[in-house]
Amino acid sequence: MTAVLLALRLGRWGIVGFSLAGFVFNFVNAVAFFQIAGHTPQERAALGATMSALAAQLVVLLPPPIRPDTVAGYVQFRGFNSLAILLAVWALASATGFARADEEKGLVESELATGTSRVALVGSRVLAFAIGLAVAAAMAGMAFVLGVASGNESFERGRVVEAAANLVALGLACYGISLLVSQLTAARFATAAAGAVLLALFFLNSLSRVFSWLSTWRWLSPFRYYDLSQPLPQGGQLDVRAFLVLLGIALVASSAAAFAFWRRDLGGALVRVPMRAGPPRYEPSTSPWWRYPVLRGVYERRLGVLAWSAGVAALAVLFVSLTRTIVNVLLNIPALLPYLSIFVHQQLYPAVLGYTWLNVAQLLFAGLAITHVARWSAEDSDGRLEMALSAPYSRAAVVVERMAVLVAVALVVAAVSGLTLYYASHANGIDLSVPRLTAASLMLVPFALVFAGAGALLASWNPRATVGLLGAFAFASYLDTELGPVFKLPLWLQDLSAFKLFGTPLVTGVEWRSVTLMLLLAAAGVGSSILLMQRRDVGR
Amino acid sequence: MLALRVAPPAIRTDRLSKDYGVGRGLFELDLQVTGQEVFGYLGPNGSGKTTTIRLLMGMIRPTGGTAHVFGLDCVRDSVQVKRKVGYLPGDVPQYGSLTGDEVIAYLGGMRGGVDRRRVHRLAERFDLDLSRRFREYSSGNKQKLAIVVAFMHRPDLLILDEPTSGLDPLNQQEFYALLRETRDDGATVFLSSHILSEVEHVCDRVGIIRDGRLVRVAELDDLRHIRVHRVEIEFAPGTPIPEREIRAAEGVEEMKAEGDRITCTVRGSFDPLLHALRDATVTDLVSTEPSLEDVFLSYFSEPRRRLLTS
Repeated sequence: MTAVLLALRLGRWGIVGFSLAGFVFNFVNAVAFFQIAGHTPQERAALGATMSALAAQLVVLLPPPIRPDTVAGYVQFRGFNSLAILLAVWALASATGFARADEEKGLVESELATGTSRVALVGSRVLAFAIGLAVAAAMAGMAFVLGVASGNESFERGRVVEAAANLVALGLACYGISLLVSQLTAARFATAAAGAVLLALFFLNSLSRVFSWLSTWRWLSPFRYYDLSQPLPQGGQLDVRAFLVLLGIALVASSAAAFAFWRRDLGGALVRVPMRAGPPRYEPSTSPWWRYPVLRGVYERRLGVLAWSAGVAALAVLFVSLTRTIVNVLLNIPALLPYLSIFVHQQLYPAVLGYTWLNVAQLLFAGLAITHVARWSAEDSDGRLEMALSAPYSRAAVVVERMAVLVAVALVVAAVSGLTLYYASHANGIDLSVPRLTAASLMLVPFALVFAGAGALLASWNPRATVGLLGAFAFASYLDTELGPVFKLPLWLQDLSAFKLFGTPLVTGVEWRSVTLMLLLAAAGVGSSILLMQRRDVGR
Repeated sequence: MLALRVAPPAIRTDRLSKDYGVGRGLFELDLQVTGQEVFGYLGPNGSGKTTTIRLLMGMIRPTGGTAHVFGLDCVRDSVQVKRKVGYLPGDVPQYGSLTGDEVIAYLGGMRGGVDRRRVHRLAERFDLDLSRRFREYSSGNKQKLAIVVAFMHRPDLLILDEPTSGLDPLNQQEFYALLRETRDDGATVFLSSHILSEVEHVCDRVGIIRDGRLVRVAELDDLRHIRVHRVEIEFAPGTPIPEREIRAAEGVEEMKAEGDRITCTVRGSFDPLLHALRDATVTDLVSTEPSLEDVFLSYFSEPRRRLLTS
């Protein structure tokens, strides 16, 4: 029991953050439905058609909606199904955090020293995560109930519980899989390996919606079993067998992880690659990269830069290959033909590619910025910042170099993304305007800088809370863009969102006002960060 | 007329304070460390040693007073200060999957002017294999890496926070030798510790801090001469032992009786004890010269009132 309480305490900010995110996301979506849906059956049918068109473009992320013309169908599609991705990310972070980060900090060792068995320790963490998930899912369900109540419509209580339970089952399955993969690899690869496995399982399922040859393999993916249950709207239901399979995956994967943990050495991997011992070396590294500011930061992250570049390039190829399929789906929706005909003779493919790929690219670059900011806040607690400041280096220089490293990394990833998109689209017979593609790729850099600026400010103010607060900022920015027009928020408030400022550069070109605003937001963040950094105490 | 310019002290603090509230922190520290000396900064956990060091390094800002290193203000001129300083923090920073040689190259690149041969000699001296990843190092090896980083650029002042924690006795001896060589080469060393033997080995002067206040600064010999002696007295079998008189004698503390033997500590003059023994038949009396450990314990185990008057 004590181990469970400790695990809950260690994960309290995750529980609070994801519960709040679930609540806000579902509540805002439910309320937004009543703002945009209208009241007549015709108006709602039109909304349903629009949502179906949107779903066709997002087919590699979300399952097709059921009855999107109803509040339940709308929130299942835009709320619960999006939250499923968010909770999978939480499961990944939480499982690898326990399996590796807590181990490196010595927390696992000290818990085992109290006499807690390894199996019991794994069990306590799984139970604590399940409790956290249940709280977050319950908050998401409650938000739906409150949102529907605001529109004076009715709902079936049982369906809400089933939708929340489906979220919990998926989260537990993802947690178990991440935990198992973390046991197999070396500590430094654990998060990347578990993330790669989860991402592969996610795309295995979502791409099977487009590529029929993948459908024979999708039974391997837990996301497939989540998709089978869409209990919230009329016409949907909880697939009990799929639900039980998700719980079964969680149980089997967690048990296998516990077994692997029991078999392996603390700090080691279950599968160890034998290393050849060489003679000791007493020389510092001869690599010239370490001598130069900025370059040393990029060089230090070279594996990460490679991984990001490869991942973004692979996704770019994927989205290009999906574009024709998506366009064909769109053209087969009669209700959309009048709207699409405007583009057919102009830029339909760039428009669709711009919408699908650049939306995902924005999320990826926000993620890239957040990982850098997470590192900055970690440097505060692991003593690296203190050590850097023991060199004749000003605090302002530290902040500026961090931002410069991010710019350099973002430039590399954006260049790889742009080049890949160009060659892949060319190979698929889609002609993109080179200047616009260049501009759209480069726009991702100031976009990432907005988040980095906010992150720099937060890291200087309160490093421990930085990642959570920056995640909330990114979430709020996204909501601001999606729902700002629906709720008629003031234009200046909508302009604070980098997602809004990014615009549609592949179709309409770069808006320099937006670029300037993004750079100003980033500069404000960096400037405030420098001021705060000068004043604050450093050290664990 | 020629004006002689006196070199500023390596470290000078004037009423330096860092108040964390509820009585925690550092209060009105007045301290001066001259050039080419090894200054030991002694105190129990939580006494304010690390706070002092972080103030000197400009990591934290004082709530009062000033600190200077070689005449440079530790807040205003912190970048220049760090050009002259080698720093070893109390908690070794975590460099994850970087190898030892990459950590050295990274920090050396930030600092500039690091002699590769110096790094080689230091790493070889402590038998630190720089090809291994930081996370694979034992705690002792992590500490050795931190020592190499602190010494690699031949700084004028070394600020070391509990530098030997995690080192085995052989490497501790090697480190003490390195400290002496560094001092003989003209550098100043400010080292915090709660290991008294360490201070006995290498320090010229010692400052003792408790509850955020500097209790005393003394030469090592002065500290030893504080009259706290451990005494063992053996009485002839069957003769009366004046336990009550001994216990009542001024300066006698921690008295224990076992058979024909009594052990106690004596603070200050021996006269009251000898007076208490005047009618007893003493067969043996051994007074042990106080080790620094005894001095330290005597300082930190007694009530604060006595400390302030000492």
